[in-house]
Amino acid sequence: MVTLQPAAAELLGITKRFGAVVACSNVDLKLRKGEIHGILGENGAGKSTLMKVLIGLALPDAGSILIHGKPSRIKDPAEAASLGIGMVHQHFSLVEPLTVWENVILGEQARLSASSARRRVKEISERYGLEIDPNDRVFNLSAGLRQRVEIIKCLRRDPGIVVLDEPTAVLTPQESEQLFRVLRRVVERDNKAVALVSHKLDEVLSATDRITIMRAGEVVERLNTSEADAPSLARAMLGRPVSLRSKGIALGHIEIDEGLAEEGGGSESEEPGILPVLRISGASAKGRDGRVLLDSLSLEVRPGEIVGVAGVEGNGQAALGDVMSSLLRLQSGTVTVGGKQIPTGKPGAMARAGVAVIPSDRHESGCVLNMSVAENLTLVSPPRSSLGLGILDRKARRSQAEILMAQFAVQASGPEAPMWSLSGGNQQRVLLARELSGNPKVLVASQPTRGLDVGGIEYVSNRIRQAAEEGVGVLLISTELEEVLDIAERIVILFRGGIVGEMPRSGVDIERLGLLMSGAAAATAAGAAAC
Amino acid sequence: MGEFLSAVGDVLSSESTYLSGWRFACALAFVALGEWVAERAGTINVSVEGAMLAGAFAAVVGGDLTGSIWVGLLFAVVAGLLVVMIQAHLSHNLTVNQFVVGLTINILVAGTASYLNSSLSPASPKAHVFEVPGLVEIPVLGPALFGQPWPLYLLYPLIPIMWWVVYRTRWGLEVRAAGENPQAADVSSVNVNARRRQAIYVAGITSGLGGGYLLLGWIGRFEDAIVGGQGFIAIAAVYFGGWTLRGTMFGCLLFGSVNSFRISLPGIGYQINSEMLSALPYVLTILVLAIFSKRIREPQSLAQPFVRGLR
Repeated sequence: MVTLQPAAAELLGITKRFGAVVACSNVDLKLRKGEIHGILGENGAGKSTLMKVLIGLALPDAGSILIHGKPSRIKDPAEAASLGIGMVHQHFSLVEPLTVWENVILGEQARLSASSARRRVKEISERYGLEIDPNDRVFNLSAGLRQRVEIIKCLRRDPGIVVLDEPTAVLTPQESEQLFRVLRRVVERDNKAVALVSHKLDEVLSATDRITIMRAGEVVERLNTSEADAPSLARAMLGRPVSLRSKGIALGHIEIDEGLAEEGGGSESEEPGILPVLRISGASAKGRDGRVLLDSLSLEVRPGEIVGVAGVEGNGQAALGDVMSSLLRLQSGTVTVGGKQIPTGKPGAMARAGVAVIPSDRHESGCVLNMSVAENLTLVSPPRSSLGLGILDRKARRSQAEILMAQFAVQASGPEAPMWSLSGGNQQRVLLARELSGNPKVLVASQPTRGLDVGGIEYVSNRIRQAAEEGVGVLLISTELEEVLDIAERIVILFRGGIVGEMPRSGVDIERLGLLMSGAAAATAAGAAAC
Repeated sequence: MGEFLSAVGDVLSSESTYLSGWRFACALAFVALGEWVAERAGTINVSVEGAMLAGAFAAVVGGDLTGSIWVGLLFAVVAGLLVVMIQAHLSHNLTVNQFVVGLTINILVAGTASYLNSSLSPASPKAHVFEVPGLVEIPVLGPALFGQPWPLYLLYPLIPIMWWVVYRTRWGLEVRAAGENPQAADVSSVNVNARRRQAIYVAGITSGLGGGYLLLGWIGRFEDAIVGGQGFIAIAAVYFGGWTLRGTMFGCLLFGSVNSFRISLPGIGYQINSEMLSALPYVLTILVLAIFSKRIREPQSLAQPFVRGLR
């Protein structure tokens, strides 16, 4: 394809190192006007780093950048903005207590004028079909609406180049589709260049014109989307042929094969004779600020069953995890483990009752990064010395740790290696080892595969399945639909702190699932239940 | 008990109670006004205590040298600013723990001022009382609000100006964003640490002014205990006010009134254990914080240093 005008942005030979790690190695990327360019890769493939270089959040160690054919040095986000590069951030570019219009104009140089800012927000929202009230405070908005604010904020400066980093991470399938419709409008109407960074095959295939695939910091393939299909993309992304079914989580690919329905996973566990090992009924809780966290949530997990809690982030996942970690006390409702009611919010009560927890933020509440692997492994019940007085038996601890590390194939320089020196996947193995070694009745896993590479995801999912086979009741809480669909046998949908629907994995209806997640089908579901 | 209640009644009906209550409240309000801005930007600026003390000492030096109240106040502002510049640089350039920095500064200032005072013993003229014609005639509250030493009146316009700056200007928007979500502000190309430092400068200026007012308005001589924790109480007032300006000013009024109560009771002839009474404002502060701490929404990144590139 011959283009006479220069590309909107051209990155040449970009190399970026963080310490000894090479995040990007000699990467070339060309973003053309009027196109959506998908940048596909696993977690850690270097795609986000590449975009950080383009947006001025990281300085490259080598390489050059041409913007509309002109060599440019982009030293900070303000510089990038002045060159017409805008980024739709997913995670941390909105200030929650501020209003929509205040967020949109934050960081601009012109004099502050509320009325003109509101007008401008209105204009952009009408032009691109992004309906929003400029006076709303951001903390009142859903994830989908927040992203609209992000997009409006990005488009307000009328950038020629728009970068989106994993934009669908917190969206329902319907919201994602709507986002891509808006992007298409942006590209066609205004001839902008769009870069869509993603690890999800499906969205790259459906939303882009051209794809660059990265692996381990390098570009491994460039192709037109029309020539691409899921298996070939997956192969390029991972460097080897894979079964899409088993790698669905990592690749953001949902395969619904008929064979699975015949497997009828979980049918034996649905026999009425088996009592649930975990029963939560009518759980309600409010935050310190009076916000409803859980709203008469009820669910059951039978021994050996994996129940997935699907839902958009912020609908009570954190609160549910906190209840199961004894961090949150319920205002009403009960939690029963193995037939015994467990007081909520009482430190250690859940753990003593046999509830093991893999928290979603493993760095913050899962482990102590500055302590050794052995200390982390034995944090809950460290081996005591026979001398008593609470003195620890270091030899016993070491041997215990060595056994667990071998069982869970933890790669570390030894039991005394500090936790922070381990990779994310190995840290997660340490957590799994610690939690499962106590022979729990119930395992509550929140986003257990978040941020892991394919090998890590595979290992963690298999361990969870194995635990279930051994009779542990597993509650999997996740905002990644692929993760829920891959691991769980039965799926319940969480919306605004309550369960609004349920379906078996084998007969999953993605569209209905998405509607339930967005709350749109809540009314219909209630109506159907009443019939 | 009955005696105590009638004493309270006497105090509440006495004009001098309001006069001194307002006077204490205003000293706190100067400091709290700037501290509020600093906290909205994300710093619990403990060094306001030191800035206030430095302001008081600089004011007496300025007054002693020139005989001019204006110069004294100018000295106070500069001294307050210099003190907090150390805080700003250490906590938002070098990201040293802001509490450790603040406490160290306070000790340093207290020692320096005490030493210089004993070797120089400066004395300054006091600012004259200015009675605003007409308004001072308002019964009970008139003399308190409009019959005070003139530097107090600097506070009145400062309050709405500060509100306007924080809520209606781009600078204020960026300050609030820096205190709530510095990462977000940073990717929106706001210079977070510059805003935080500038907000601390504002606190230094108003604290210096507060110290200057305290000295030039009332005493004319420097004493080691002249500030005596009022900077800390101003920090508590911001907390009490839930990080709103209105609440903060109300907090100053409350804490200031309790302080004046302590002065007034013995003044009209009731001798209640004076140590107990001196402790009253602090006890009340602790009680109030204990009771109100639950419903308060603080800036989400308060007291957390911001380093670019870290998430």
